[in-house]
Amino acid sequence: MSSLTKVGQRIPKKDAPLKVTGAAIYIQDMKVPGMLYGKILYSKYAHAKILKIDTGKAEKLAGVRAVLTGADVPNNFKFGFLKDNPPLKTGKVLSARDEIAAVAAISAEIAEEALDLIEVEYEELPGIFDPLDAMKEGAPLIHEEFKSNVLKLPWKLVAGDVEEAKKASAYIAEDSFSTQWVTHCCLGTSGCIAAFDMNNNLTMYSNTQIPSLAQNDYLEALKTFGLKNKRVRIIQCVIGGGFGSKLDTYAYEYIAILLALKTRKPVKIVFSREEEFFATSPRQCTITKISQGCDKDGRLTFREMEMVLDNGAYVSWGATTPSVMMVPISSLYKVQNIKYVAKCVYTNNTYSQAMRGYGNPQATFAIESCLDQLAEKAGIDPLEIRRINANEPGEITPQNFRITSCGMKECIDEVANRLDWKGKRGKHNNRGVGMASLIHVGGAARVYKSDGCGTIIKMDDNGKVDVITGSSEIGQGSETIISQIVAEVLGINIDDINVINNDTDVCPWDVGAHASRTTFVAGNSALGAARKIKAQILEVAAKNLGEDPQSLDIKDGVVFSTKDKEKNIPLSKVLRKVHYSLGGRMLVAENFYDPPNENFDQNFRGNLSVSYAYGAHGVEVEVDKDTGQVKILNYIAAHDVGKAINPMLLEGQIYGGGLQGIGYALGERMIFEKGVLKNGNFLDYKMPTAKDVPPVQAVIVETDEQAGPFGAKGIGEPGLVPTAPAIANAIYDAVGVRIKDLPITPEKVLRALQEKGKIA
Amino acid sequence: MPAVPTSWSGSDLTSPVRRFAGSLICLERIDELKSIHEADGQIFIGSCVSHTKLMENLLIQKNFPLLIQAVKVLGSPPIRNMGTIGGNICTASPAGDTLPPLHTLGAIVEIRSIDSNRLVPLKGFIKGPGKTALQKSEIVYGVWINTNQDYNVCHYEKVGQRKALAIAIASFAALLKLSESGIIEKALFAWGSVAPVIVTSQEAEKMLIGKPLTAESLKSVVPLVEKAVSPIDDVRASAEYRRMVAGNLLFRLLQYGNHGST
Repeated sequence: MSSLTKVGQRIPKKDAPLKVTGAAIYIQDMKVPGMLYGKILYSKYAHAKILKIDTGKAEKLAGVRAVLTGADVPNNFKFGFLKDNPPLKTGKVLSARDEIAAVAAISAEIAEEALDLIEVEYEELPGIFDPLDAMKEGAPLIHEEFKSNVLKLPWKLVAGDVEEAKKASAYIAEDSFSTQWVTHCCLGTSGCIAAFDMNNNLTMYSNTQIPSLAQNDYLEALKTFGLKNKRVRIIQCVIGGGFGSKLDTYAYEYIAILLALKTRKPVKIVFSREEEFFATSPRQCTITKISQGCDKDGRLTFREMEMVLDNGAYVSWGATTPSVMMVPISSLYKVQNIKYVAKCVYTNNTYSQAMRGYGNPQATFAIESCLDQLAEKAGIDPLEIRRINANEPGEITPQNFRITSCGMKECIDEVANRLDWKGKRGKHNNRGVGMASLIHVGGAARVYKSDGCGTIIKMDDNGKVDVITGSSEIGQGSETIISQIVAEVLGINIDDINVINNDTDVCPWDVGAHASRTTFVAGNSALGAARKIKAQILEVAAKNLGEDPQSLDIKDGVVFSTKDKEKNIPLSKVLRKVHYSLGGRMLVAENFYDPPNENFDQNFRGNLSVSYAYGAHGVEVEVDKDTGQVKILNYIAAHDVGKAINPMLLEGQIYGGGLQGIGYALGERMIFEKGVLKNGNFLDYKMPTAKDVPPVQAVIVETDEQAGPFGAKGIGEPGLVPTAPAIANAIYDAVGVRIKDLPITPEKVLRALQEKGKIA
Repeated sequence: MPAVPTSWSGSDLTSPVRRFAGSLICLERIDELKSIHEADGQIFIGSCVSHTKLMENLLIQKNFPLLIQAVKVLGSPPIRNMGTIGGNICTASPAGDTLPPLHTLGAIVEIRSIDSNRLVPLKGFIKGPGKTALQKSEIVYGVWINTNQDYNVCHYEKVGQRKALAIAIASFAALLKLSESGIIEKALFAWGSVAPVIVTSQEAEKMLIGKPLTAESLKSVVPLVEKAVSPIDDVRASAEYRRMVAGNLLFRLLQYGNHGST
C-alpha cells in the first residue's frame, strides 16, 4: 500500500466546478412538465384549537388547482419515529410550525396569494415551552393519548457501581450545563417534486440524505392513502447540504404527494429561507447534570449524568440522540463506572431531529467542561488529566465498544504542542488556552438492523467505469472519495470514473448518509466491488496474454505482467475482447458491505461501530473585559482519521465542522418566544461569516484502521464535537469565569465577569 | 410629485419589496447626488454616494478618518457597494453605522424639493427609529461637514454579534483633542443602538475637559453615559448589556494614551 497513487492525494472535489459555476441542478432549479407549485399555511400559534378553516376564497382564486386541509388526509395518516405527526393538522395545533392547509397552483405567486385567502379561526391555548415545566406534576399534556409529556423511551445506561466509586474518589466535580436550539443552515433549502404516473407509482425528486429509508416512508404513506403495491422512485437532485436535516421525511413531502394525487399533476414544494429556519427540525436544547470523580492520581473513577432534552411537539430522530450521547458518556476516556439517564420531553416548541454529531456535542460540552473542573480540584493540569485517562487501542469500554485504532493521545499532544500549552496556560492575562477531546463512531453505526451499502461497478468498451452506489453525495465529497478508492484498485484515472448515486431505480440499497459512515461503509463497499471487477479483468487479460492472473496488475489503464512489463494490453482492449467475442460477457461486479458492528442490546451494550474516531481541539482565546467578546487567536483541531483518503476534503470537513462548532459555542441560537421563532433569518441567526474565521490548523493523525477502506475512518461529524468545551475551558483559563450555558455570548461573559467583580 | 417611497440605492428593500406592489423612485443615477467635493471649508457628500465610494475617497480619508472607520464595518462588501450615506441617514435606525460619526462631526443635512432648499443638523433631522424631518416631496440632497475639525484622536467601534453582516448591539464614536501632556481639551461622543436615536452626552464631554486621559477620568463619566442611554431588549442583546457596553466602550480611548495621535 506504500505506492498509492490515488488514495491519499489532494484531489479537488469532482462536483466543485458544477457548484462554483452555478451549473449544478438543485431542487430549486428542477422543473417537470405540467408541474404545479405547492405552498403551506402554517399555524399562527404554538398551541391552539382550530375552530374553523374556510378555504372557499382560496379555491376560487384563478390558477389554484387544489386546496387541502387535515380533513383531506386519508385514514388518519401520521408519520415520524413514533407516528405522532399528521402532515396537515386537524382539531389542534401543537407548535407554531404546524401545517394547517396547503395549496397547489400554476405559479408559486398564486399559491402564496391563495394562502392569504384561507381563513382560520383559532382559540389560543396556553403552551408549554420549557421541558422542565412539561415534566411537572399536573402539567397539561401535549399529546393526551400518551398520558405523559415524557416520551416512553428507555434511555438509561448503567455500568459498574457509581455509588461505590463516589466513595472511593479522591476528588469529585459536579455541575449543570445547558445547550441551545441550533439549526443546520443548509445553503440548499428543503424541497421536493412529487409526480405520479398513470398507475399511481410515485416519483419523488428530492434532496433526502436517506433515499432507501425515504422510499419506505413514502410507500407506507401510499399504502395508508389506499394505494397498495405501488412503486416509489426517488431521484436526488444535487443536494446543498444535509448535516442531518434531511435524515427524516417531513410533512411538506407528504403534502406534495397528496397535492399531486389530488391534481394528477406533479407538485413542487420548495422552502423559502424563512421556512427552512422554522419548519425544519433542529438540534434540541438540553439540560445536563453531571458529576465526575477521580482518584488521587487523576484517574477517572465514575461519570454520572442526567439529561433532559426538549423534544418539541412531535417525534423525529431527535428523540434517539441519547443513544449517541452514550458514546462519549460511556467511552470518552477510560472510566468504568457510568450512570446515565435521559428524558426526552414533549413541549410546544419546534420538534428536534438529527444534526451533525447527533447529541455528542451536547454531551461532550458537559463532560469536557466538567473534566476541567475536576482537574482543578485535583490540582492536575487539564492536559495531564486527559493524557492520564486517554483511550488506547485494545480497550473494551463499559458499553462493550472494542477500541481498535486509537490516536487520542497523539491528538492531545499535537494540540498541546501546537498551542504552546505549557507556555500559555495559566497566565490569567485575558488570554488563555483550553482543550477538549472527542470520541465518535468512526466505522459506521448499527442503529438499524442493517448498516449496509451496495455498489455495482460496470465497465464500457473504452475502459470507462460506472460506479453505481447506494450512498448519497450531500456535499461531503463521497463521489470523489469513492472514485479515488475505485481508481486506486483499478489502476485508472479518477476522471474515467462516473459515480451514479441519485436514483433508487438504478442504485443499490444504502441506509443513508449519516453517522459519519459513508467513507467507511460506501468506501468499503466500493472497494470490494472494485476488487471483484479487477479479478474479472485480470482473468480475461490473463487468457489474452497467456499469463497467470496472479502475476497481472493494472496501471494507468494498462494491464501488464508484473514479471515482464513488455507483456501488456490496454484495459479498453480487454473490455472490447470481452464484449466482441463469441460467448461474450459483461464486466459487472456487485458488492454489499455490511460492517461487522452490533446493535445495542436492551442494556445498551454492543460494539456499535467497527472503529471509533478520536480527536482533540485546542484553542487560544482573548477575552475583552469591556464587552465580554471572545476572540479566537488560534485553533488547533487534531483528528485521528485512520487514513486520509483525500487530505484536502478531510481538512474541509475539519474546517467546516470546527466553524460550525464555533458558531454553536459563541453565537448561534434559535430564539423562541412562546414557541415562535424570532430570529429565523441569516441576519439575526448569527452563523459565523468568512470574516469570523479564526486561524485554524487541521492536524491529521493517521492510525491505519484495519477494517477501514485503505485504513480510513469517518470524519463527517467529529469536527464540531469538542469545540464548545475547548472554548469554554480557554475562557476559564483567560479570565476565570466558566460559562455553562451555550452559546457563550459576550453578554454572558460580561455578566459573569461583573459577578466575579473583575471589571477594571 | 407623487407621494411614493424614495429609494437611494435599494439595499434594504429586498424583503419588504417581496410583498410591495407600489412605485419607487430611484435617485441613484443622478450624478450630482453622487458627488463629494469641498467648498468654503466644508465637504459635501451627496446622498447617493455609496459606502464603498466614501471609503475610497481621498478627501474623506484625509479629513474624516472616523467616518471611514465606521463605514469599514458596515454590512459586507456587496452592501457597501449598494448602500449609500443618504440611505443610512434616512433609514434613521439607531444602529446606522454612519450616524454616530456624523453626529460627532456635526454633519448638516441638506434637504431639497422642487421649490425649496433647507439645511437641518443631523441631530434634529432624525426624529426616532425610521422617522426623519423629511416632508412629503422632499429628498435628502447630501450632508455637509466642516473640515475644520479640531481633534487629534478619533475612535469608532461597533459591538456586533459577528465581524461582518452584523447590526450594532452598541456602537461608539469619539473625537478627542488631547494636549501634548495627555490632557483632554475637547471631547465629542456619540453612541448608536442604545436608544431610539443616537445618544450624545454633553455632560460627559464637559466633565472630561481638563482631565488627563486615564481610566479614572473615564470611569467618572460612566454613570452619566449610563443615564443618557435608554436601550431596549431585542433578539440581539439585552438592554442591560447595551448599557454596560456603552459605558465600557469609553475605556477604548485609553489605547490612545497621551501621544495625542490617531
